[in-house]
Amino acid sequence: MKEYRVLEIKQSVFEDNNKQADLLRQKLKEEKIFLLNLMSSPGAGKTTTLTRTIELLKDKLRIGVMEADIDSDVDAAAIAKTGAKVIQLHTGGMCHLDADMTKQGLEGLGTEGVDLAILENVGNLVCPAEFDTGSVKNAMILSVPEGDDKPLKYPLMFSICDVLLINKIDVMPYFDFDLQVCIERARKLNPDIRVIPVCAKTGEGIADFADWLCDETKKWQA
Amino acid sequence: MHELGVVMEVARVVEEFARENDVEEVDTIVLQVGELSSMIPKYIYDVYPAAVDGTMLEKTKLDIEIIPGNGQCVGCKTVFNILENHTACPNCQSTQFELLSGREFYIKEIVCY
Repeated sequence: MKEYRVLEIKQSVFEDNNKQADLLRQKLKEEKIFLLNLMSSPGAGKTTTLTRTIELLKDKLRIGVMEADIDSDVDAAAIAKTGAKVIQLHTGGMCHLDADMTKQGLEGLGTEGVDLAILENVGNLVCPAEFDTGSVKNAMILSVPEGDDKPLKYPLMFSICDVLLINKIDVMPYFDFDLQVCIERARKLNPDIRVIPVCAKTGEGIADFADWLCDETKKWQA
Repeated sequence: MHELGVVMEVARVVEEFARENDVEEVDTIVLQVGELSSMIPKYIYDVYPAAVDGTMLEKTKLDIEIIPGNGQCVGCKTVFNILENHTACPNCQSTQFELLSGREFYIKEIVCY
């Protein structure tokens, strides 16, 4: 009988990702690039919100966008119309991006001269919340048709975000969505979360988000 | 597909560890998975053969230990299982608690020759 031994490893599998994320943030700081990680469920309006935001910011900041999806390049095509630099990342079935994939994405995008890089994460409220991408700030979009109970169902996502955009407020009268209740539920998980109600279709509220993004980018670069 | 990417990372870490420690054959990998982590043990077992396919761990067994999701009530300091008690303290019913454990995902150890 072969002699066997037990070797203790005791390593968190996420630890490696956290380390890589910190390294990436450090590099972004040195290069004065602000990275925003934008998350939401599929169809909440990430791409439409982004195109609106880019329209307001394109004369103030040089913007690059990474579109992460399992397949297709429809989102990248939509962003390209705004004139912003864009790259489509295919995750090959993976439901989230980690720090290493984000770093590769930034390299593929080419960040020279970019002030603001935006990562449009895979549409999913679960997994992307678990993995630090190396972003400076996290933002999420919750759209009215999804319901005001989402902070209860996906608490981690609401806990890790700096900004919560509540999109499609124009259709509020047709849904049982209580804005105040939703904000209270989100603040219970994350007292500092900034909530911005928007309608990406009409552009309502987008200026507030664009201002926040511009301020945060300037702060990061200072 | 969440588990596959992470389990492939586990295989990568263990292979590296085995190489560094002159381990020829790994018999078993022991993982510790928190009840509140996003990793589901059943799915880890399911994707494991695919994750180790073609690596030195191809014949390695997998063992998973579950770490309970425990919290301590901010008010009365009772320690309780968060899932069993539906996030409310069984003593004072408060839902304000500090997380003690349950979100871990560790490679605990390897059994090897």
